[in-house]
Amino acid sequence: MVNSYQAVSLKEALEIRATKTVIPYGGGTDLMLEPDENANYLFLAKVPEMKNIVDDSEYIRIGAACTFTDIMESELAPAILKKAVSQIAAPAIRNLGTVGGNICNGSPKADSALIFFATDAKLRLVSSRGERVLPITEFYLGRKNTSLQADELLVEILMKRTGLSNYYYKKVGARNALAISRVSFAAIFTINQGKIANCMTAFGAVSDVIIRRADIDDMFIGKTIDEAKNVKEEYLTAYAQAIVPIRGRISAEYRKAVCMNLLRDFLASNGI
Amino acid sequence: MEKISKSAKKKDHEAKVSGQALYVDDHVMDNMLYGRLLHSTKAKARITDIILPALPEGYLVVDKNDVPGVNRVAIIVHDTPVYAEDTVEYIGEPILMVVGPDFKEVERILHEVVVVYEEQVPVLDMRKSDTAFFKYNYAKGDIDTALAEADRVFIETFQTGYQEQAYLETQGLIAYPHAGRMTVRGSMQCPYYVHGAVAQALGCEGKAVQIIQDVTGGGFGGKEAFPSMLACQTAVAAKKANKPVKVIFDRREDMEFTSKRHPSICTYKVAIKNGEITGMDIEVLFNSGAYTTLSAVVLQRGLICANGVYRVDNLRVAGRAVKTNTVPCGAYRGFGAPQTFFAVEMAMAHIAKELGMDSLELKEKYIVKQGDVTSTSGKYHFHVPLPEMIQRIDELTDYRTKRKLYQNQTGRYRKGIGMSLFYHGCGFTGSGERDIIKAVAKIRKNADDTVEVLTSNADIGQGLKTTFCKIVADTLGISYDQVFIDNPDTDRVPDSGPTVASRSLMTVGGLLRRAAEKLKKEWRPGEEQVIEEHFVEPDFVIPFNLEEFRGDAYPTYSWSVNAIEVEVDTLTATTEILGAWGIFDVGVPVDMNIILGQMQGGFLQGIGYASMEQMDYNDKGRIRNNSFSDYIIPTAVDVPNLVTEILNNPYTHGPYGAKGAGELPLVGAAPAYLEAMENALGTNLNKVPFTQEDAMSILQEANKR
Amino acid sequence: MIEFILNGHPVTSLAKANARLLDVLRAEFSLTGVKCGCKEGECGACSVILDGRLVNSCMVAMGHIAGSTIMTIEGYRETERFAALDKAYAAVSAVQCGFCIPGMILASECILAKNPNPAEAEIREGISGNLCRCTGYNAIVQAIQSAAKEGQGLW
Repeated sequence: MVNSYQAVSLKEALEIRATKTVIPYGGGTDLMLEPDENANYLFLAKVPEMKNIVDDSEYIRIGAACTFTDIMESELAPAILKKAVSQIAAPAIRNLGTVGGNICNGSPKADSALIFFATDAKLRLVSSRGERVLPITEFYLGRKNTSLQADELLVEILMKRTGLSNYYYKKVGARNALAISRVSFAAIFTINQGKIANCMTAFGAVSDVIIRRADIDDMFIGKTIDEAKNVKEEYLTAYAQAIVPIRGRISAEYRKAVCMNLLRDFLASNGI
Repeated sequence: MEKISKSAKKKDHEAKVSGQALYVDDHVMDNMLYGRLLHSTKAKARITDIILPALPEGYLVVDKNDVPGVNRVAIIVHDTPVYAEDTVEYIGEPILMVVGPDFKEVERILHEVVVVYEEQVPVLDMRKSDTAFFKYNYAKGDIDTALAEADRVFIETFQTGYQEQAYLETQGLIAYPHAGRMTVRGSMQCPYYVHGAVAQALGCEGKAVQIIQDVTGGGFGGKEAFPSMLACQTAVAAKKANKPVKVIFDRREDMEFTSKRHPSICTYKVAIKNGEITGMDIEVLFNSGAYTTLSAVVLQRGLICANGVYRVDNLRVAGRAVKTNTVPCGAYRGFGAPQTFFAVEMAMAHIAKELGMDSLELKEKYIVKQGDVTSTSGKYHFHVPLPEMIQRIDELTDYRTKRKLYQNQTGRYRKGIGMSLFYHGCGFTGSGERDIIKAVAKIRKNADDTVEVLTSNADIGQGLKTTFCKIVADTLGISYDQVFIDNPDTDRVPDSGPTVASRSLMTVGGLLRRAAEKLKKEWRPGEEQVIEEHFVEPDFVIPFNLEEFRGDAYPTYSWSVNAIEVEVDTLTATTEILGAWGIFDVGVPVDMNIILGQMQGGFLQGIGYASMEQMDYNDKGRIRNNSFSDYIIPTAVDVPNLVTEILNNPYTHGPYGAKGAGELPLVGAAPAYLEAMENALGTNLNKVPFTQEDAMSILQEANKR
Repeated sequence: MIEFILNGHPVTSLAKANARLLDVLRAEFSLTGVKCGCKEGECGACSVILDGRLVNSCMVAMGHIAGSTIMTIEGYRETERFAALDKAYAAVSAVQCGFCIPGMILASECILAKNPNPAEAEIREGISGNLCRCTGYNAIVQAIQSAAKEGQGLW
């Protein structure tokens, strides 16, 4: 290979990342849409440290080079993540596309990134200088713009081990397969001893960046379902203001209507 | 099932299933050059200068100055330039071609060419066009009196959008000069159309041109006329380079710049007296795009179908195909009929609602019967099987019950069911078959007693190789394996006419049947024999006069009823298709699997046309949906198993009773789908495609009330 | 220089690492059974099997497959499983224009390799990335169902 590299270990990958100008290549399904003749790629599919799906005492750790199919076939991956990735494109794309590529491409339409946002996942970014772990909500600077440093690689995504089983997910595309999201919505809701312990929502494909407003969701924390009903209208109004769909081929009115409908349905499905 | 309908193994199955079939891009020739067209980026402009970059050795640029013959593509009215002259009339108009040995280098050079445009104001809205390429009017009875005496006059306007053929194999051709002749081979439906066009552009005699159809990955009308233009451009390039030149469109180029279905706006004024429809006054507007190409005939067919399957004694139909500075529209399966059948079926549905009836109840009162007069004062010479088809669809779907059940739903999920009744006129419109095409077909028996079919019709997936061989084999009483057919080569086959208008099986198949009958009588084993047959118009046909727009527009019709059931999720305004049913009368199927495959494929294209296949252009006249991710066609998970049944209704003048089949299944899906959406949403609708956004607007309006 | 296994044989490609697998298969290895329908991963005409998984070869850079195994229709057609699918597709005349077919056949293989007795929904999901404009999908689904039934023991 001239000027491009296929790494077979994380160490090797990080060395190359630190010393050469390369574009990290997970599955290629975004990069190959408009390939750059002169690009130097760092092929990561064979880096074992990026292909694991394991759990430890705190997290489920998902390697960034795991394909969507890897996730669908994993026993450990949370159901909400499997649900979302199983609706991406079609089998042939799912066999190639990676969660790392999906996140680092920076698109607000990224279907797995939506789940990571909704579940407050963290990203483990590694370079030959060291590593950092940050919430995914802090990783995006704008549309298609992330804070990934030139010598860093996204190696793992860390998801909560528990509390993700009561989920709501809906993707709306132009058709049932091979569809880029027009609106996507993911939510988690947990009750602990009669009180709402967790309410986490995220909206994809409507703004420059995935919308995650933990501050609004926090309105419900600590309340009973009955108490939650009392703040429901305030909650919905806050989101109605927060969701301002950007202009696109599909009308803002349509996307806004769908977002609010799904949000209401999510609440209703939990008794609110 | 008739014996002929028993399915045979398709002649081209093995080559295609194994990946061995060679499509044009699979052919590589020695010294072959690659060509890429430079397309206009302005909808209307004067070209004031073209600045070329330095050209490396072996690379050249081809334009209007290199056309040895006439710089016009021979399609009906020859107004389409081969290469643009002083002006461009649409975004995409070909200005020049860059040709050379390395494809990437050709693209690099292409991007460095600078065209200096003096922009003019384009006309993009068909309603604002001041140039009508074609106008036709016809009438029967006394519509003005019917309107004057009506208790109510129902008036409504219906719209249909573009449809892109989206064949899986893009347009492509190779042209190569040899021994003073020019051969063009590739993806096409009509080798002799291409032949005439290339001879004209090269300024040479017909015998100096050879056209060969390669295995073609779908056409649906999109490769009826467009290849003639590309062939002229490529042949001119090959002549200048004196080497083979291959041009293959990439998908974006194909989607943006090749011919599509005409968008339409149709206004219906229907006179109603004492609860009866007494007359229809119909105006039809088709958006031709920038050049005429096939618009005359598309408009003719659309106008002929304007009153649908209904007996309307007082009728006036006026139509125009107008110029806009957009991509020229052309042939697409249905060819004008999907537009007006959509309009008339929705009009009838809305009239029924006004009269307090269910749409089927109203429609049934007016369905034509054998012996009735057609819209153009011809005759329905044969049995019209619609009543039994309606009965069968009702049995299969429980349509009548569901229509009532689905009214006034309020839950999250809302179902709807709709039905459409329609026909497709079989064969070329009017007297074209007799006066213009004059089809000739041949069969040659070889000394080894194998028989070759010699026709110019192109198998583009619809199975002509198989059905033609079946007809000949069965008539001769010999094995199917003893009969063969190659891809048409104009050096070897007569002009049996184009592969269009659902004519190949019925008309050319009919010629082959006669030829085989003759050969059977005259069969001499071990000898080479050639039998030739010429088209003869059936004697019962009332000749069609285009000036008066009067007579039998078609010798016969194929009939169909479609029903579609949907479920709308009001939260997202997305629609699931719960069921799609179609009954089709194509006379007698010459091969059941092939006919069912055609019905299913056309039906799904019609469903796409109604629901997800939206294409439009921006305010500069540029088509925005130029890829498969933006122009949405159905996948296998967007539709359930399509239920398609055949009803035999043999045509006396078709081989084995066969009639036109190819286009019928696309024609009526859209109104069936829209009527289902109306049932689900509880409101009248009047346009296709009817998308998620459209459904959401309706739902939100309803919420406000 | 990129080494990989192609249709059962070790090969070396002279292509650059960021060349498209589709282009290399068609041009360098003359495997024209792999078709180009869109070059955007949206139609599946270019499907090949990479390390046992269905992928769109137009979306794969050569550097990604170094050391991997690729099967195209040209390799697959030598197998018994292909013969079963061939027979099943022929019986319902599922091949119309044929352009989607090599991809469909490989997608069929991947469906049955995962589950030798798939339900209709699973079959449709398995070919959801292979666009067909001719057939309406009915006959293709039927062909895969009947190959599953007749081909007991093959998958």
